[in-house]
Amino acid sequence: MGFFSVLDISAAGMDVQQARLEAAAQNLANSRTTSAPGTPAYQPLTVVVHSVTGQDAAAENLPKPVVAATVPMNAQPRLVYDPGHPDADERGFVSLPGVDPIGSMLDLISISRSYEANLHAFDLTRTLIQKTLDIGSRR
Amino acid sequence: MAGPDPIFALLARALDGAALRQAVHTANLANASVEGFRRLDVSFDSELERARASLDVGTTPEPDALTGPQVVQTQDSVRLDREMALMAKDAVHYQALLGAFDRSIGLLRLAVREGREG
Repeated sequence: MGFFSVLDISAAGMDVQQARLEAAAQNLANSRTTSAPGTPAYQPLTVVVHSVTGQDAAAENLPKPVVAATVPMNAQPRLVYDPGHPDADERGFVSLPGVDPIGSMLDLISISRSYEANLHAFDLTRTLIQKTLDIGSRR
Repeated sequence: MAGPDPIFALLARALDGAALRQAVHTANLANASVEGFRRLDVSFDSELERARASLDVGTTPEPDALTGPQVVQTQDSVRLDREMALMAKDAVHYQALLGAFDRSIGLLRLAVREGREG
């Protein structure tokens, strides 16, 4: 495993966090969207991440995270009684997507921390590569 | 003595180990949010310990006799704070090894110039 490919691992880690951020932001943004009775409502999304180990001959092949899929969670919709709403059913209930706002906010914190950690690892690897290239360069 | 200077060969081996540690910390951080991922570690220090012991009894350790650093699977899940701290520690270790490498080259340079400065 060359030092340069370590940078790819950090980049893959940041890609994964980016995908999680998009899903969490989309869930939060759609948490109050309604749909007419009988039509499919918004389904909160979740990101499935797998670790993939390269197939090269090198023994110390390290796993790299990849987004396998962004899939709907099949969460039960929340029913809110609001008979005046245009999307209310005949009993007066409006169905809101089963987004868990607190869970989504906690996800955002974890995404932010993970992204920072990957960025820090990237930066540190870059510094070490730079210093390695400087070996013996003093006169 | 045949072959390259054993000090350089040992330093190169130690740098390989430290570089692999950095790579493993990076992989642990990147895979932290993967369901079921268990952190990886590097087993190398026992080999270095053996090399150090042979230095203590006055023999030069054979760099070729050392097996390279190995990536091992642990049963722990990844904790970001712990991983960051270990990564910072190992980065300092790597830079210390680089410094030793640089100074060894400096000694060679001094010898080549017969002790003259500049």
